[in-house]
Amino acid sequence: MVGLSIGEKHFIQGGIAQDIRSDGRKRLTPRPINVKTGVISQANGSARVRMGATDVIASVKAELGRPTALQPDKGKVFINVDCSPTAAPMFEGRGGEELSAELSVALRHCLLGGKSGSGAGIEVSSLVVVEGKICWDLYIDGLVVSSDGNLLDALGAAIKAALSNTGIPRVNVAAGASGDEQPEVDVSDEEFLQFDTSKVPAIVTLTKVGKHYIVDATSEEESQMSSAVSISVNRQGHICGLTKRGGAGLDPSIILDMVSVAKTVSEQLINTLDSQIAAAEAGEDES
Amino acid sequence: MEYVSPEGLRLDGRRPMEIGVVGKADGSAVFEMGNTKVIAAVYGPREVQNRSQQMFSVRCEYTMANFSTGDRMRKPKGDRRSTEISLVIRQTMEACIMTHLMPRTQIDIFVQVLQADGGTRSACINAATVALSDAGIPMRDLVTSCSAGYLNSTPLLDLNYVEDSAGGADVTLGIMPKLDKITLLQMDAKLPFDIFENVMQLAIEGCKAVATYIREILLENTKQLEYRRGT
Repeated sequence: MVGLSIGEKHFIQGGIAQDIRSDGRKRLTPRPINVKTGVISQANGSARVRMGATDVIASVKAELGRPTALQPDKGKVFINVDCSPTAAPMFEGRGGEELSAELSVALRHCLLGGKSGSGAGIEVSSLVVVEGKICWDLYIDGLVVSSDGNLLDALGAAIKAALSNTGIPRVNVAAGASGDEQPEVDVSDEEFLQFDTSKVPAIVTLTKVGKHYIVDATSEEESQMSSAVSISVNRQGHICGLTKRGGAGLDPSIILDMVSVAKTVSEQLINTLDSQIAAAEAGEDES
Repeated sequence: MEYVSPEGLRLDGRRPMEIGVVGKADGSAVFEMGNTKVIAAVYGPREVQNRSQQMFSVRCEYTMANFSTGDRMRKPKGDRRSTEISLVIRQTMEACIMTHLMPRTQIDIFVQVLQADGGTRSACINAATVALSDAGIPMRDLVTSCSAGYLNSTPLLDLNYVEDSAGGADVTLGIMPKLDKITLLQMDAKLPFDIFENVMQLAIEGCKAVATYIREILLENTKQLEYRRGT
C-alpha cells in the first residue's frame, strides 16, 4: 500500500474526531455488507462476503472422522485462513503467513470454545454420528481475496453465512456393530441436514484512533490505529470471545466501554447479516 | 463410463466473467470454465521491488485454495506443480506483453484457483489476459488457452477433471488469436501424429471461440465504463 502523507493522516484522525470519516460514515456505521452463498459448488457450504473493497470467501467441508477421547459426544471444527496474493502483492509466497496465522487464531478464539470445548459459539454436539466412534469433522477455510481493512469481521460474517449454507449429509449407521469395531456408515447423497447457526456469533472489531473508536475500519484508517479490540457477540448478547490487538495500552474502563458499544453494534450487524443471508439463500434457490 | 457426449464438440456455452473484482489491484478478473473458477489480479507496472532477485519484468504466482479440489489440500502454495504452472503462465504472458514499453518496471500477475475441475492452466491464462486488459497494460494480442483430449476415439474439447483422469491424451494450447501464433503447447500421454493434428486444431478453434467471447465482454465492460464517465 502506498504510504500516507502527514496531511492525509491528520485528515483521517481529524475526521474521526469529528464523527465524519473519509467516506462520509459516522464512527459506528459499518459499510454495507453483500453476501452471496453457495459460491463453491464442491464444498458442503460456502459464502462470499463483500464489505466495501474487502472481499472474502469461506468454505465448509465435512468429512467423517473419529471424535477425541476427551469429548466423545462432540464433532470437531478446524478453522484456517489463507491470504491470497491477489489481495496484496506482499502476500506472495510466504508473505501472507503471519497475517493468516493471526486471523486463524483470532477466529478460533471467537468461534470455538476453550480447550475443553465448552462455551463454543459453533454447536459441535450436533455433529456426532456414533458416540465415541464417528463424528463429522468440519473444515472451515477462509480466503482473503481483496483486503481493505476489517478482515476479521468479514471473515466472521463469511463463516456464519457459509455455515448457514452448509448441508451435512444424512448418515445411516448399520446396526449390529459392537465393541471397538468401526460401524459401517452409509453417507447419503440425497438428504442433507441444515446446520443450526442461530447461536453462531458475529464478530465486531472496534479500532481506536486517537480518542475515539470506529467500527469497520478501512485499511487507511487501520494504519492510524493505536489498538483494536475484536469482540464476538451472539444473538443473546453474550460475549463469545475477545481479542485485543495493537500496541498501545488501554485503560480497563475503556475496554468495558468498548464491549458495551460492541454489543449494541453487533445487534444491528446480526440482524443485517441474517437478512442478507436469508436473501442470498432465497436467491440461490431460485437460480 | 460414457465420456463422449452425443453432441461431439462440447463447448460449454456458459463462460461467465467478472471484471474489476479486486478493488486494490490495477486489474482483476474472475473467469469460469464450467466448474473451474479462477481469479486473477494484476499489480503493475510498478517499481522493481527486489533488485537482488533476477530481473524478470513479469512475475506470476499460481495458488490453489484449500477448498478448490474435491479433497482438501494441505499445502496450497510452493509445491512443485504450482511452481511449474506459475512458470508456464509467466512465460506465456511475457510473450504477449510489450515489456519494452515499460523498462525498469515489474508487472505481478497473481492467479488464485477457487474451484478446480480440469483445465485450471487454461482458465488461469484466460483470467490473466482479462486482468491485464483491465489494468490497461499494452499487449500485442489477447492470449487465450484451451485444453483438448482424445477419448473413446473422439477428440474432445476442454476436458474436465474426470475426463482428464481417464487416461487419454491431454493437450493444452495457448494462442494469440489475431496474430495466429502459438505461445503454449503441452501434452501428456501419447497420440498418433495425425490424430494429434486433429486435436491441436480442435484446441485452436476452442481458443478462438474463447477469444471472441473475451473480446465481447471487454467491449461491453468498456462501454459501461464510458457510460459511467458520462461521455
